[in-house]
Amino acid sequence: MTERSGAGAVGDLDRVLADLRALSEDIESCAVLSEDRSLLSSSHASAVDRERAGALLAALMDLSGKAVREGGKDYASQLRIDTEGGHLLLVRLDSGGVLAATTGPEARVGLVLYDMRNARGEVDRVLAEGGEQ
Amino acid sequence: MKKLLRRVVLLGAIAGGIYAVRSYLQGGSVAVESVQMVFDDGSTRSLASNTPEGKEFADIARRIVEIGL
Repeated sequence: MTERSGAGAVGDLDRVLADLRALSEDIESCAVLSEDRSLLSSSHASAVDRERAGALLAALMDLSGKAVREGGKDYASQLRIDTEGGHLLLVRLDSGGVLAATTGPEARVGLVLYDMRNARGEVDRVLAEGGEQ
Repeated sequence: MKKLLRRVVLLGAIAGGIYAVRSYLQGGSVAVESVQMVFDDGSTRSLASNTPEGKEFADIARRIVEIGL
């Protein structure tokens, strides 16, 4: 569900994420967060759930940024967190935002990350077109 | 006196055994969750969830995995 519906190119983000989920069946949910920590698209239909997921994802991006800078780098291109309940995967977009996805514990994570990296270009293209309008 | 000492040693061994089994069953300090960062130059950085920094990542990630994105 795209928050900024109505803007044609940005509205395409839902389609790109739907395609990604269709391609990578292990993905349970996915979202796109912009560099300024705005949730641009999410699998959640409810605004409350979207807001909660966006806030948690933003907190994770802040934490990740801090850890990366402490390590003397500018940014991480990929982040993988394995938990008992499943995996959380983040792939950095050219625009500075992230494409994020969750999977179950038995997911083929390498394959999911491969699909996410492939979808990244399309997400960036849609975001760039949205920014031009 | 010797008998008492033997009993103390035996009790200590039993208590130690119980503690070891309990720690093993509870997972002890073994990290079951992990964080891996990959950088553009191909280098990686890993954090185990039994470190303070890794725990912060794991706590947030666990909640996101629970509610979905």
